[in-house]
Amino acid sequence: MHIADGYLSPQTVIASYALAIPLWVYAFKKLKAELNEETLPKLAALSALSFIIMMFNIPVPGGSSAHAVGTALLAILFGPWVAFIAISMVLLIQALVFGDGGITAIPVEALAMGFVEAFVAYFIFNALKKYKFAPFVAGYISIIAAAFVIGLVLGLQANFTDESGKPLYFPFGITIAVPAMVLEHLLVGLAEGIFTQVVYTFLQKEQKK
Amino acid sequence: MKRIYIILVALLALVPIGLYLTDAPAWGEWDNSYYQKTLGFIPKSIENATSTALFSDYSIKGLGDVPSYYISALIGIILIFAFFYLLKKFIKNG
Repeated sequence: MHIADGYLSPQTVIASYALAIPLWVYAFKKLKAELNEETLPKLAALSALSFIIMMFNIPVPGGSSAHAVGTALLAILFGPWVAFIAISMVLLIQALVFGDGGITAIPVEALAMGFVEAFVAYFIFNALKKYKFAPFVAGYISIIAAAFVIGLVLGLQANFTDESGKPLYFPFGITIAVPAMVLEHLLVGLAEGIFTQVVYTFLQKEQKK
Repeated sequence: MKRIYIILVALLALVPIGLYLTDAPAWGEWDNSYYQKTLGFIPKSIENATSTALFSDYSIKGLGDVPSYYISALIGIILIFAFFYLLKKFIKNG
């Protein structure tokens, strides 16, 4: 779900920064309020875990690959705002240090994999709280929601063309990009769901002791 | 608290699996040659983009795939922990 530099039109980049910056400011305040001796190591470890699981590329039919993200777990344990800012920071490191996703695309990625995935996961988890598999469902659905947003934004870029009608940025339209992103995450969502469920359960057991 | 570190270390140890499961790029994260092949051209803005990242594609100059991936994973973990600890220090002083 990472987007390289050059894939998004300047209009998209500007609009996404304008949307993301106030949300980052608010989320940062939430994070500062949450940070203490007890939450800090856990939050750092969960964010690091998210970075690591994104390195596990899973093959998808059709000659492609994708990975889990880990936002759902953070959202369930720390709330959607903290999850959003934590994942944004992970995406920033990926872009700056590893060239995984471009700097121009950070807000779009953060809004999809961070904001949308976190809030969807958070609400689903709370709605299904009394069921044992709430973390799985939250992880599964929320990563698909994130993939949908990425597909939508990528697909919109095909509308920006030069005089001869050639796309200047990401060339495949919504009718290709959205199904491609959503369908492959119907499969990869299982990884996100299992990851969320297993780690959540594992950590809960420790807390009960 | 300890359990989260167990998971982190276990997944870190297994991280090269991420290299071997698939060679395929993610959808929409292709090399520029893919566009040349399927469209007959490379969209201008994609063609002109350059990556300036130090460890582009999680590879470290002079190292093989597996050591590169391990070290990249470690660098990522260290930077993330550094961010949170510096932030906390900054909040305390500020």
